[in-house]
Amino acid sequence: MFSNLTHLLNGLSLVGPVRRGAGGDVVGLVAAIESLSEASPIQASNSQTDRLVQNRGRIICITSARDDDSITSLAGIALNTLIQQNKKASTPQPPASPNASNTPPSLVIHYCHLVIINVAPEKVDTRVTNQPLTEMGGGLMGVEVIVTRASALANLLGQLVLPHYRLATTTVTGIPMKEEQNASSSANYDVEIIHSIEAHAGLRASQTPAEAAESVVLRWWTPRGAEGGASSCSGPLWRVTPSDVASRPSACLVNFLLNGRSVTLEVPSRKGGGRSASHVLAAQGGELWIGALGGRTPYDDPPALSEGAGGRVTDYRIKEFGALMQLNRLGPLRGSAANGRARTRLQRHTTYWPLTISSTLIFNLGSVMDPLTRLVVQESLTEEEVDACRSVLLSLLGMETRHEFPTSQLPSNMRGKSSGRREELWRQVWCELEALIRAHSASSAHRALLRVLLECRAHNHSSDSESRASVIRATTDSPLSPVGAGNGAGAGAGTAAGAGAASEVWAPRNVLEALLAGPRPSRRPDFAGRMAAGSRPAVLYQHLQQDVEAQH
Amino acid sequence: MPTVILLDISLSMSRPLASSETTENHTRISIATTAINAFLDYLAIHAKLEYVALVCFSSGYEVSVSFTRDFDSIKSKLTQLDEGDKTCIETALLGVNQLILGEWGYQTPVQIILITDGTCGTGPIGRNRIIQALPLPPPYPAKIHILPIVSPHDSCLQHAMPLYQKIIDLSANASNNSSGTLSRGAVYCPEHLTMTAVLSAMNRICEQHYQEFWCTLKCGQLETRVQLFPAPQTVSHEGVTATYTLAHQIHVVGFITQQDMGTPIAISKHLVIPQTQSGNNHNNRENYGSKTPSKDGSGTEGSTTDEDMSDPSKVPNFCVLLHGALKVEGMSAIVQLGAEWWGAVSAWCEPSRTRRSCLLLSVMRPGVSAAPWLGPLDQLGPAEEGSPSETFPVRAWRSYSGGGSNCAWARPHALLADVQKVLRHARKLPDKTQHLYKELNRLRRAAISLGFSELLTCVGSALERECAALPNNSPPECALQLAHAAAALRDPRTALDIKHTLQPLASNFTVTSMSH
Repeated sequence: MFSNLTHLLNGLSLVGPVRRGAGGDVVGLVAAIESLSEASPIQASNSQTDRLVQNRGRIICITSARDDDSITSLAGIALNTLIQQNKKASTPQPPASPNASNTPPSLVIHYCHLVIINVAPEKVDTRVTNQPLTEMGGGLMGVEVIVTRASALANLLGQLVLPHYRLATTTVTGIPMKEEQNASSSANYDVEIIHSIEAHAGLRASQTPAEAAESVVLRWWTPRGAEGGASSCSGPLWRVTPSDVASRPSACLVNFLLNGRSVTLEVPSRKGGGRSASHVLAAQGGELWIGALGGRTPYDDPPALSEGAGGRVTDYRIKEFGALMQLNRLGPLRGSAANGRARTRLQRHTTYWPLTISSTLIFNLGSVMDPLTRLVVQESLTEEEVDACRSVLLSLLGMETRHEFPTSQLPSNMRGKSSGRREELWRQVWCELEALIRAHSASSAHRALLRVLLECRAHNHSSDSESRASVIRATTDSPLSPVGAGNGAGAGAGTAAGAGAASEVWAPRNVLEALLAGPRPSRRPDFAGRMAAGSRPAVLYQHLQQDVEAQH
Repeated sequence: MPTVILLDISLSMSRPLASSETTENHTRISIATTAINAFLDYLAIHAKLEYVALVCFSSGYEVSVSFTRDFDSIKSKLTQLDEGDKTCIETALLGVNQLILGEWGYQTPVQIILITDGTCGTGPIGRNRIIQALPLPPPYPAKIHILPIVSPHDSCLQHAMPLYQKIIDLSANASNNSSGTLSRGAVYCPEHLTMTAVLSAMNRICEQHYQEFWCTLKCGQLETRVQLFPAPQTVSHEGVTATYTLAHQIHVVGFITQQDMGTPIAISKHLVIPQTQSGNNHNNRENYGSKTPSKDGSGTEGSTTDEDMSDPSKVPNFCVLLHGALKVEGMSAIVQLGAEWWGAVSAWCEPSRTRRSCLLLSVMRPGVSAAPWLGPLDQLGPAEEGSPSETFPVRAWRSYSGGGSNCAWARPHALLADVQKVLRHARKLPDKTQHLYKELNRLRRAAISLGFSELLTCVGSALERECAALPNNSPPECALQLAHAAAALRDPRTALDIKHTLQPLASNFTVTSMSH
């Protein structure tokens, strides 16, 4: 990839051109073997658990030796170094342990694959011959000698890198491109791409190593309606890089994909004439990916949601939940615990959240409730925000005393239902508001708001009927009060007073009552010690202290 | 996971049971069909979305029923099985491979239940030959269970056991197991050769490998019980020894737009099916005394009548709401599946059935870097907190841009193309003076980096040749610029200085020509 290329070139420029008489292959080889015994970052991080994993490495030595004998001696030197290095690594280091704890321990090398590439100039004969992989030192080292012309070296290295990183190449053939010189004509080009070998799993179920080295040819194919990124691919995606990074066709393909288009690739010349899409190429986040297509998915033909649980409820508050999702959008932040903050926020936003339109009034009242329902979900409230909420409550109170109800705000299908008793509606509104604000009474500003609300309710009801207010108090305050489970016996309000008969006071529609009656931590009786202490700080476990003093 | 029932119908399966206790005349095949029926009955209750195929084999194989959710068609097929000749497991597995690759491709994990009679049909030499010839490991991730209908003390089972073990071992290391390792299959040998023992062995298979997966989908205080189908598998991350099992609580972390999400690199995808009948009431009871007022279920407790409660489709369910909102807003929910493990829930609809849409959970690879364009997943937080510069997609350090300024000469023609470009510009002076120097500097930087100083000498002489071949009527600036460039390339003072850039000859030619 290009950015790596700059990095590489910069590094190479620091090395500078070949100097005569410098180092030589032996020095380099020894250094390579020593570096194999150093733990890689992954090995270092797994050092405690992964003792079973072998430390195997591969060294590619590019040299230009005179004849087979010097190659053999080079391999011999490598083996000796390896044995010495392993001896060093396997000897325990108790004497040096106190001060050597900082230096990473060197690892035993279990296997080293040494590939010696003998490069010969174009027109000069070489007396080095190819040697297949031979084991040395009882399976400690495998040596392979490859003789190559200098011009073929780059290709050879390209081939060697594939098995090392488990990569494979695909040649995308038949890519239509505009000519550089003449933009009106277009010609078809091929681009070779490199990716994980796993992307070919389906194409080459049983392949020989020779086949694996070859590039799979796939044809460029953009069927209609196949746009939409890699979404059609149900499995994993693998990163892709063109193998010839700087060529014009590669750049063309890369830019095509980076501009957000995707392309389907097909297996060419299939028997039977049918076309079969095999892979998809797409860009995501500025990187190129390949994904394999094909096959059914075990989750196809899913059961319809409308037939499942909750499927026939038609009045979900989908729009409001959409707004909630927008408020809980995620972004890439820095630092950990961001996930936790997002979840806490979501927790706050959903504390009181009726699922359906018909199960709530306050969220259907729109502008009448406006800043309150929006502000109350915040973690904390400012003075002004509390004031804004207070004015909402007061205006509600005003409406109620004028015996109005903002029916026009309700959705049309609820207006008919709600035409019944205004008092009933107001009672539900206040109950819901209390549930909402109580659910958020974590901060002191919220508690202040709750006090305002309770005052509103108290004021309202005292003017109306004293007994009813006390009933509401009793119902909402007692954590043990039974939930009015649909026993609409004494439906009329105010027929009975006192906590014991509270459940009978309520109308059959008692969702909110059920909700409100649940035990809530914010309303549990105060700690006895604090009640006794009054305004002073309460002392915990006073009697313990007394007991201790009594013993002495 | 789709399932293939691989049923041995060789002649030896027709042997009656030797037991005297039963009055009924059971053969091995009749026990096998009863066991398959029991298996299908289990699936009908616990995994009715499972696809099952029936393949019968003896010396050849036949796909009796291809993959279907209509288990009755398999049951009816079971009543009309032919008798075959000789058990030939390797052929059968080959056929299964073809069937699965044709239907599911090589990415879908599959379970195979091999029901046979505990003989491998050959002697020891033949058995070893079969082991050699097994078409395993399969090119798709698979789990093979073997149910031999044989007494555990039968000598032929001892003889066949190495073959069975080999089949299970080989299938466990499928070549395409990138999506984490499946747990292994096993030989489920009945304790006796009786109907009940075989049924209980089948029951063990069901309970160990066909458990439905229930979990709770939580979004803040809203939550609902959901089933995930197909049941998620335990995942072991590549190389790392830790295994990941899906937690029974899936927490929504937040939401991002579908566009930002892109296609998650899923190791598996699962339908999220809201809980229907069973356990619903139980769930309500759980919520009953809880402090959250708006959990689904508890909200309906008092208001709905008994009639409504008996019809779960009329009880509001968070899942349906979530699906609707995700679809309308075009968003996905990021969910936490466990420690250091994330997934994405989105509304998904099959292209062929646009109207039937459902919730789909894409399980990502364990680890914070499973979706590189979202950044580290543990650092996803409320978007409002972030600075405006931090947006999706998070750009990778790998970048394909800026490719123009570098040379990569891995192929001979790449070098040739770069040199030709220089010469092309050289012939179009003075218009292309800036381009010429830009290309020269690019070439020079690459050549010095690679220690390829000969190239610069050659290009220098090529420029001199161009200079000499200039037509007579060409402006004098051309010759001067070419000579300057050639000299600058070979200037020994700056020859190996990579930071040095060649500048066009500062002359007043351009100025004078402009003034005309």
